Order: sequence, then structure tokens, then C-alpha cells
Amino acid sequence: MIWLTWRQFRGQFLATVGLLAVLVAYLLYLGVTIRDAYDSDIVGCVAARGCLIDDATASFIRDYRGPVTIPSIVLMILPALIGVFWGAPLITRELETNTHRLVWNQSVTRTYWLAIKLGFIGLVSLVLTGTLSVLLTWAASRYDLVGGNRFDQMSFASRNIAPLGYIVFAVVLGTLLGMVTRRTVPAMAVTLLIIGVVQVLAPTLVRPYLRAPVTVSVAYNAETRARGGSLDIPSSNPLSITGYSIPGALTLTDRTSLRNAGGTEVRATDVKDCLADEGVTSTDGWQQVERCIAAKNLHFDLEAQPANRYWSFQWIEFGAFVGLGLLLSGLAFWRIRHVRG
Amino acid sequence: MTSVLRADGLTKHYGRHPGLVEADLDIPAGRVVGLVGPNGAGKSTLLGLTSGLIEPTSGTIEVLGSRPAASGSQLARVGFVAQDTPVYAGLSVGDHLRLGARLNQRWDEQLARRRIAQVGLDLSQKAGRLSGGQRAQLALTIAAAKRPELLIFDEPVAALDPLARRQFLQHLMEFVSELEVTVILSSHLLGDLERVCDHLVLLASARVQLAGEVDDLLSTHYRIVGSRDDVAHLPPGFDVISAEHRGRQSTLVVRRTDTTPIPRSFANAERLDLEEMVLAYLTRATDPSGAASHHSPALETLR
Amino acid sequence: MNHAVKAVGLGLRYGQRDALTDCTLEIPEGSVVGLVGPNSAGKSTLLSLICGLLEPSTGTISVLGARPGVSAAHLARVGFVAQNIPLYDNLTVAEHLRLGAKLNPRWDQRLADEHLQPLRGDLKRKAGQLSGGQRAQLALALVAAKRPELLVLDEPVAALDPLARRQFLRRLMELVADLQATVVLSSHLISDLERVCDQLIVLTRGRVQLAGPVEDILTTHYRLLRPSGDPDGLPDGTEIIQALHTDRQSTLTVRSTLPIPGAAPHVQRLDLEEVALAYMGRAQGADEQD
Repeated sequence: MIWLTWRQFRGQFLATVGLLAVLVAYLLYLGVTIRDAYDSDIVGCVAARGCLIDDATASFIRDYRGPVTIPSIVLMILPALIGVFWGAPLITRELETNTHRLVWNQSVTRTYWLAIKLGFIGLVSLVLTGTLSVLLTWAASRYDLVGGNRFDQMSFASRNIAPLGYIVFAVVLGTLLGMVTRRTVPAMAVTLLIIGVVQVLAPTLVRPYLRAPVTVSVAYNAETRARGGSLDIPSSNPLSITGYSIPGALTLTDRTSLRNAGGTEVRATDVKDCLADEGVTSTDGWQQVERCIAAKNLHFDLEAQPANRYWSFQWIEFGAFVGLGLLLSGLAFWRIRHVRG
Repeated sequence: MTSVLRADGLTKHYGRHPGLVEADLDIPAGRVVGLVGPNGAGKSTLLGLTSGLIEPTSGTIEVLGSRPAASGSQLARVGFVAQDTPVYAGLSVGDHLRLGARLNQRWDEQLARRRIAQVGLDLSQKAGRLSGGQRAQLALTIAAAKRPELLIFDEPVAALDPLARRQFLQHLMEFVSELEVTVILSSHLLGDLERVCDHLVLLASARVQLAGEVDDLLSTHYRIVGSRDDVAHLPPGFDVISAEHRGRQSTLVVRRTDTTPIPRSFANAERLDLEEMVLAYLTRATDPSGAASHHSPALETLR
Repeated sequence: MNHAVKAVGLGLRYGQRDALTDCTLEIPEGSVVGLVGPNSAGKSTLLSLICGLLEPSTGTISVLGARPGVSAAHLARVGFVAQNIPLYDNLTVAEHLRLGAKLNPRWDQRLADEHLQPLRGDLKRKAGQLSGGQRAQLALALVAAKRPELLVLDEPVAALDPLARRQFLRRLMELVADLQATVVLSSHLISDLERVCDQLIVLTRGRVQLAGPVEDILTTHYRLLRPSGDPDGLPDGTEIIQALHTDRQSTLTVRSTLPIPGAAPHVQRLDLEEVALAYMGRAQGADEQD
């Protein structure tokens, strides 16, 4: 049975491996290049006198954002591709060519047949994804260290063990949908749709609440702008900070009020002395206003999943998707016995 | 007697692959002609040549006295129903009749309506929803209402169940007697052909193996059983079509080519039915060395 | 006598449509059963139920003493050649044999080779390039080497030309004699079935119209020609299967276990095809009157 599964799958497998081999070579090259650049530009800058580390990291990130993003996207869409092109046709192809009526009347039960087919394809997908994920995690590690946010959706979904969970889910989902729809094209379409929806919903609606968020107090200072936080001074409402992200953490709050040491929200009237009467027009003027407000010992509160929860979240998502995959495969094994031959 | 189809050295090659080689045929008018042979033997090629869909590589073919599909009026005299009786799935039965009336000057509306009613088809029904048997009946009606002089069918009953097949052939025979049309019909179902055909053309390996009136053919073919010695010394005037040897006994299918009486040692000589005769020729054509006489028991003995 | 197949009140629904209704059947071990009927009469459904490819909606079916397809060991005892002879088109003939050998513990390579004789020059060809006759040959070799006790074939000769059909049936019968297997075979070609079968089942509109030994069927069915409107003179228990009336005479197809007095042409025996067609015609006629 393993031979038959391999024989049926051989062509596709070799074509896919051929494509992915290109990616593997690229990742190896990228990893070495990034390491060299890190050693010379970042480590070298720290050691060198008169080198501005901020400029060095900014240019390092700028140089490698594209080269790291491309393989990250490939890893992000890999579950959808494998679910659609390997999972969905796994059974529909047999149903459509009627060969299930040949193979289901050999001396093997449908359950065994499905176990081998699904197990084989699942394992191959896992090994491929695992290889790519390890390589990408390695290749991008210096980049992630310098500037990346590991909780960023693209990083989170393409590094370490989370992709393995997605791939298990995708393969089983495609197979089960094939069994239900009995037709390749609809099975592919529904698989793609569901995986797409899950990949949008999981990071936006589910991941932020996998564990109870913690509240982080951040002082308002010159760093705030560099971390993406922009100050807004409305005439009647409290002052607010929008878009601030805590380094390495998953920041959940987008807009929050600026508070004083006592925790009271600060209003425009409280910082009158920083605001020019005529209103601020030039950039220089605005920076002066910010500096003035920063000197008032203000802070803001944010909800976040802190950076040290990264691995706990990787494991939770991996476990959740593997669990979903197992649940769906349970359904598939129950269902296969009642599929109309 | 007029000929409906006359072929002389008719040959068609597809590249280097022979479709039909050196076919000589003369089919008299008013016959129901059965065209038999294995898949790929040249049946469709011959039907295509007859209806003018294919041009011969060499040789000549005359259908109803002129080159096939030579003119519109010639086309009107020949009806062709392709394999699996194609119809327009989206059009209703009535639409098909209107279509037939528009495209054929000699269209016999009355005949078409009467036939449709007889086979119990609903004019408003979409052709795509008809069963295989009903579709075949519709195609037959349209082809017949053209009032052709020659009707050609390429495996019309292959996909039909026994009942639909029987009904189709029954209606076909009614048309034949009503319209005095010549019919050429290819089929793998020799039992059916035996029931309806009075002329037979047998193709194998792109060549005509046998052609003639069914009665004449059946009256000149015999199965004889005898010892190997006896069958080895057949008098002249007998062609051995197939031979099967088992132990010391041999079973031959022979064709009597003149009026020589059958030797006494073959007192048990018996006539064949159409199916057995055809199978003997097909066996010979696919296995000319005579190696077909292997020692497998005949089907009849296993029952 | 043991039964290879035993069905009681067997039925199968597809949504709103009954594919098979209240089918009660016994197929004795060692018999060769022909299954005939119009298209979509439920033949493939019945065969699929026997092979365990479908589950019944109602009733029960037991095949070789167990529920069909219940275990690998049971699957090994039943051989099936499905309609249109499905094969893996991009696998070669040799790879199909390898598949069979790997998936069947009771695989008999000698039998496979024997039945593959006519294809020995084509071992490296893909199944998708084989002719209809060759596909049938390969399917038969695959199923033969399982050494099944029950062999189920769904219209295996439908696409074959006369010679290929004859050869296929001959090989099938050799195999059956060799294995002493029970065979259920559906076909539109009743004359072929008449040659090889000892039992016949006629199925129309999902219902069994007639089932029994061919010999009994042939000895209990008659065609009677008699003046119109003269129903007299038939023995008790005579069942009229089909009646065709013209102005002057009636043609009756009847079933009677008692001999019917008279001689040809007024009382004729029928061949199997005539009997089967009469039953199919009756079911269709009844349907049109609904």
C-alpha cells in the first residue's frame, strides 16, 4: 500500500521537491549572507568608534526586509498550497476516475487504505515544511534579532513549529473535504477558502486572547515615536498615543490615553504651556511640542502579550492545529467507511 | 439491380496507418447491411467514406450513383447517425424537429410527428434529459424524416439496454419497410444483426474479410468435426476458415466455394449461425497463423 | 445448500430516489449468475452492495456468511470488476500486478501470469493506452490472482468487440472452473449470458422481476398464439407476463409450472432473451400506466 501511495504521488512529489530545492538553496545562501552582514555591519559597528548603531541597524533591516519576507510568504501560503494540491485531490482523484472501486476491493480495508495514504502524504508534508521552517528560522535569526518582531504575523506563522501545526491541519482538511464533496475542483476551492479564512482569523481574533493579556505601562519619551507611537492632541478629549508597539511583544492596544503619574488622563489644557498659541505648523515646532510633553513624566498603558510568551504561543498554536487536524482525521476515518463506492 | 454503394479498391491511410485497404464492395438497394468487426478494424473509416466525411486515399466509392457528399441534393439522400446518437442537450424534442424541418428540404413532418408520438416522446422535453433509448429513437426519427435513400448508423445500440435495443431495432425495421430505404448499421451485437440484417460486411485488420447476402453466406458455411486425418484431406472446393484441434479430433469452420458435396466422413456437418460464422473469420483475421487452435475448452462444455 | 449471497428486503435510497427496493435473493454457492435489466434498473447498485461498496438503507445482505467488506480477510474472498473497468491510467500493466501482489496476501502470481498471457508484450504500457479488450484482460488477471470465492463483474464486456467478448468470457469461465468460484455477472447481452450462466436475475426499476435457475426459467415460460379474447385453456397458476393484442390474435408470454397443452406455432418455448425482455417490457409497461 505504501508502494502504491508512493507510486501515485511520485510525480507530484518530485515536481514539488524540485521547486522547494530552489528555495532551500536560496535560504542557505541568505542565512550565510545575513550572518556575514550582521558580523561586519552590526557587531563591527558596536566595536568601531564613531559608528551610529541606529543607522547601522536601520540600514541592515532595510537591506534584508525583502529577502526575508519572500520566503516567509512562501511558508505562510505553503499550508494552503499543500492542502489544495495534495490534500483535496488525495481521494477525489480516485473517486473521479473510479479507481476507488478497484482498490477498495483488494484485500485491504478502507481504513487501512486511508491511514497509509493520509499518513504518507501528511508525513511528507511535515518533513518538507519542517525543513523549510528550520532553514528559514536559521537564515532569518540575525534579522529577527536585530529588528524583527517575532510576534509579527509573518514571522510568527513562518518560523519554528507553528507552520507544522498548520500543515497537519491543511492536509487533513483538504482530504476530508475531498471525501465530502467527492469532486476535486470544489474540494480545492473550499479548502483554499477555509484555510484562507483561518489564516486571517487566527492571528487577529484568536491569537491575542490565547492567554490573558498583561497591562504594560510605558513612559512617554523620545523613544515613543521610534516605536511607532504617534501623539494626538485633540482640543476637547484626552491626549492619546496610536500605533505603539512594545518590542518583541504582541501589542493588543492600538490607541490609548496619555496619563500623568497619578493615573489621570491628560488633556490639552493640562499641557497648555507646551502648545504655541497660533497652533503648530512646522515639523520642528511639533518636535518641540513633543519634547515639552515628554518632559512632564507622563505614561500610557497598553494591553499586550509579552515577548517571553513567544514559545508558549508557538506551542499553543502548534498544539491547537495539530489537535484540529487529529479531530478532522477522526472524522475522515469515520466517514471513509460510509463513503458511497 | 441498382447498387446503393459501390467501392473499388477503396483505400484510406491515416499517415502510415492503414484505415481501410483495397475494399471492393457492391451493396444492392433495399438491404439492411450489418457492418461488423473488431474495434479499429476500419468500420468507422468505411462509414465516414460512405457519408463523405472522409476522402479516400485511393480507389473509388460511389454512393447512390455519385461521389459521396458531392452536392446538397446528394447529402439530402443520405442520413447519418453518429455513434452514441448525439443530440443537442439544451433543445427540446420539438426544437429538434423544427431544426430538421429547416435544414432538410425533403423533410417529412407528418412522419416525424407520428413517430415521436408512437415512441411516447414529449415534444417539450429537453433532449438532454432523455434516456439513451429515447435519444436513439429521436435521432432515428430525425434521420428518417429526411426521407433519405440510405441511412447509416455507427453503433446506434452499443449503449442501450436490451429492451431499448429491441425497441430501437423494431422501429428501424418499420422505417425500412415503410420508406424502402437502405440501411447500413455497424454493431458488435451479432445476435441483433442476425435478427435485422440481410446483408453482411465483415471488416478486420482494415480489410474486407467477407461480404454478401446473409442467407447466401450462411448456406455455404459449415462446421465439421472429424479426425485430424480426415480434415487434412478435405477435397478442393472448401476453404478452411478456422480450425480447432483437441486430441485427435478437429473442429473446422469451412466455406464451400462450389457445389462439391460434403464428404461422407463429415456426416455431422452443420450450418452455423451468423455469430459463429463471424467469430470464425475474426479469429482467422487476428491470428492468421492458425495458432488460435489452442486447447481451451469450448464455452459450451463449461456450462 | 450454502449461499454465496443472501439478501433479505434489501433496499438502497439515493436521496429521494430508490435505486433498489425490497430485494430478496439467494445465490447458491458455485453458481454462475447473470444479472440483466434496463439501464439504471439497479444492477450496479446491487453489485456494489454485494461488494460492500455501498451500505444498504434497508434490509440485510450477507456475502459468504458475513457483512460485505467487513474486514480485510473478507475482502480477500470477493473479487470485483467494476463497470467500465477502472484502472490507474498512468500505471503500467506490470505496476498493476505489483499493486495486486502488494495488496492481496493470498495473491497467486501463477494465475496472474496465466491470465496475462495475451498481454505479456504490453507489460510496460500504461493502462490508459490499453484497448477495451486489454483492460478487461488486465482486470481479469488482477481479480483472478486474488483467488476469490465470489467473483462479481459489472458489465465487463460492454465495450468489447465480438471476438474480444468471446475470448473474455471463455477465460472467465476457465477461471471459474479452476477456482470453483461463484460468479455474478451483469450484461446487456443476454445471448452471452445464456451461454455461460446457470442462474438469471432480471432487475427493473430497482425490483427483482425474476430470479432462478436458467433451466427452470426456460422450462416454465411459453409464448402462446391464440385468437383474440380467448383466455381459456390455461392451466391453473399460469401467470401472464406480457400480452400483445392485434385484431385477430393475441400473443401471450406466460409462466406456468404445469405443461401447457398444444404445439408450435401456438405454444412455443422461449429463449432466455425473450423471457428476460418480456419481464423488462412488463415492468416498463406497468410504469407507463402509473
